[in-house]
Amino acid sequence: MLKYSLKRLSSSLLTLLIIISVVFVLLRQMPIEGYFDNFEKADAAMIQAKLNQLGLNDPIPVQLWNFLKDLVHGDLGTSARYSVGAPISGLIAKKAPLSMKLGVLSMGLALLMGIPLGAAMARKKGGFWDKFGTIYIVFINAVPAAVYHIFIQLYGTSFLGIPMLFDENNLITWILPVFSMALGNTAYYAMWLRRYMVDEMNKDYVRLARAKGVSGPNIMMKHVLRNAFVPMIQYIPTSLLYTVCGSIYIESLYSIPGMGGLLVDVIGRQDNPMVQAIVMIYSCIGIVGLLLGDLLMGVIDPRISFVKKEGAR
Amino acid sequence: MLSIKDNKSRKLEAALAEQLKKDLDGQIENEDELFVLAEYDEAAGEKTGYSNYSYWRSTLQVFLKNKVAVSLLIVLALLLAFTFIQPHLPGQYPANLINNNPQTGKQLSNVPPSLTTVMVTVPAGTQLNAAPVKNAEGWYAADNVIESLKARTKFDVIEYGEQWCRIEYKGKTGYVKNNFQTKLKLPDDPTAVPYESRSNFKLEMYMQPVDYTNNGTSLYVEGSYLTLHDDGTATAASDAPLRVLPSENAFWFGTNNIGQDLWARVWSGTRTSLAIGFIVAFFEAIIGITVGVLWGYVRKLDRILTEVYNVLDNIPNTIILILISYILRPGFGTLVFAMCLTCWLGMARFIRNQIVIIRDRDYNLASRCLGTGTAKIIVKNLLPYLVSVIMLRLALSIPSAIGNEVFITYIGLGLPVDMPSLGNLINEGRKLVTSETLRYQLIFPAIVLSVVTISFYIIGNAFADAADPKNHV
Repeated sequence: MLKYSLKRLSSSLLTLLIIISVVFVLLRQMPIEGYFDNFEKADAAMIQAKLNQLGLNDPIPVQLWNFLKDLVHGDLGTSARYSVGAPISGLIAKKAPLSMKLGVLSMGLALLMGIPLGAAMARKKGGFWDKFGTIYIVFINAVPAAVYHIFIQLYGTSFLGIPMLFDENNLITWILPVFSMALGNTAYYAMWLRRYMVDEMNKDYVRLARAKGVSGPNIMMKHVLRNAFVPMIQYIPTSLLYTVCGSIYIESLYSIPGMGGLLVDVIGRQDNPMVQAIVMIYSCIGIVGLLLGDLLMGVIDPRISFVKKEGAR
Repeated sequence: MLSIKDNKSRKLEAALAEQLKKDLDGQIENEDELFVLAEYDEAAGEKTGYSNYSYWRSTLQVFLKNKVAVSLLIVLALLLAFTFIQPHLPGQYPANLINNNPQTGKQLSNVPPSLTTVMVTVPAGTQLNAAPVKNAEGWYAADNVIESLKARTKFDVIEYGEQWCRIEYKGKTGYVKNNFQTKLKLPDDPTAVPYESRSNFKLEMYMQPVDYTNNGTSLYVEGSYLTLHDDGTATAASDAPLRVLPSENAFWFGTNNIGQDLWARVWSGTRTSLAIGFIVAFFEAIIGITVGVLWGYVRKLDRILTEVYNVLDNIPNTIILILISYILRPGFGTLVFAMCLTCWLGMARFIRNQIVIIRDRDYNLASRCLGTGTAKIIVKNLLPYLVSVIMLRLALSIPSAIGNEVFITYIGLGLPVDMPSLGNLINEGRKLVTSETLRYQLIFPAIVLSVVTISFYIIGNAFADAADPKNHV
């Protein structure tokens, strides 16, 4: 287990390093306007001076090395256009807690809605909940998120008679963003839980339990659901981290001052250092999520062996 | 994270693997039967050992039984055909044409959707001003404005009304609107007519207490409805429809804020979005199958490709999409390129896993021993087993490509506005949702988009179920 964890950790670090380098190098190819707050007014000498000051005239490997050195110290550079001269890490630290709160709430809601839905779907195949859940899953997966988020905002706010935009101090405005953010994950949990539960239900130990006279709900709760939940655990860190990162749609729709909305903002303003930092944070979160998922899975299910992985020869 | 695509394709994969195993292990399902003496059975004797089971025919049969999927397939086919036919139908406005009012030159912005462009129908006998419209045979610009009064022009009110006041000005009598916009100056007792009045705003003096204009500009009517007089006026000979444009072609979905026909834009956008979907799916197939086959079949490449896959798979797709669209110039090519960069990963992994499983089956060893070339083994022995899952993944990757386009447009890196796509139509519409009267600009593209994506999705799933040998009779 330890050996596996170390190996997994090192491969994640390597991936991270590769991604950061690639993002960094790619963003060096962008026009230099994205480093200036007033490019149109600056003359050639000023531009050169600024480029030198930012170290943008150095060869790219040197720049990358400097960036990585700063990164280790938690310095992501300074914003060029969004909030001129402010350190990016500070800007993000200000925005992240709100995204985190929303993410955790919506994640909790998704688990609360998704797991009962999935269980109800698996319990009676072809029954009402199965049909309802299938339609719901198809809808959520097929219709682009932008569309249903907009309509939920539009009709939800007028139906409930609440303000359209988010206000941190007004709790009632939290309802719709959290609900909308939970929809996708709900469908996801319901779909996989149903699948895993149906798989479990066809196994012999369930038949044995039934033969012993264990009651239906007991089998479902104590045997099927518990076993079916194990493979789901793998995905929970990933989905939690993704949600924490803030759904880009939701945050910009409801004007929530979080990280997802920030990304849209800085892309609109072509603020290269900010885009770079946020993109790196997102990829980091993705990698950490997968890593956590794999490790968690190993801790929880002792049957999983790390000696020989699936498909390896 | 795994998507629903993976859910379905894993299920299908498992079913196919089981079928393959059954085929290879022969028909021995019940070992007892091996040791039981069989009685002579005439029916069994008649059997020639030929089974008319055909995988693809059964797949088709099962698929055709799914009524919803079949009807959606028809809807989708019609929709697809229609996007190509639509520009060639008579009376269509080009998608990027900015429709102006031919007289004022102003854009016909935010005209609400309607099946005709008729704004108002004038009863027979109504007096109108009529002037022939240049460049439009038989059409007249008609209105009932006698004169435009400049701001602060003095006139006499000879009959006071809550909505319309009858006035006299320079010997002509006519009507002016009396509302919060015109703000007529009132005497102490407005019923004491006649009195002198004025407005601080520009006023129109109408022939009748009705406004037969489109916010002050003339509407259009076909000459056959009018009896023309020499002094430039006309009388409606029968009930005459007044239209927004000198044409009977309506803006079925209304116009956007710069006067472009939304109907044409929605179809042109559907075309663009479907094109993106199909191109991405095509590349997913090409790249995914090629890489997957190499990865699975060439042992030396396995380690390298697995490492590459692990790195790439760790990066969230959305991030790659955003990054590439941000770096390159926004446009059709960029979008397709960005999506193609990641879309093949899942396909390649699937193909690789399957090929590793069946590569060294006895029949492939036999083929190899007989000297069959690698290419032939891959194409004839390996890929046919994978066709159904490949098709499933492709059917599901079209809606997700369309969805990605919407997403990228939403964050401001999508196609330019002069290239309508469902994504940028929705994005344009989204900005107007606060105004209830303009919501149609969001709703129409959203409906078409949902129909397209849901159809692909359901068809893909129905196909997966049909391709599953468990569901075959």
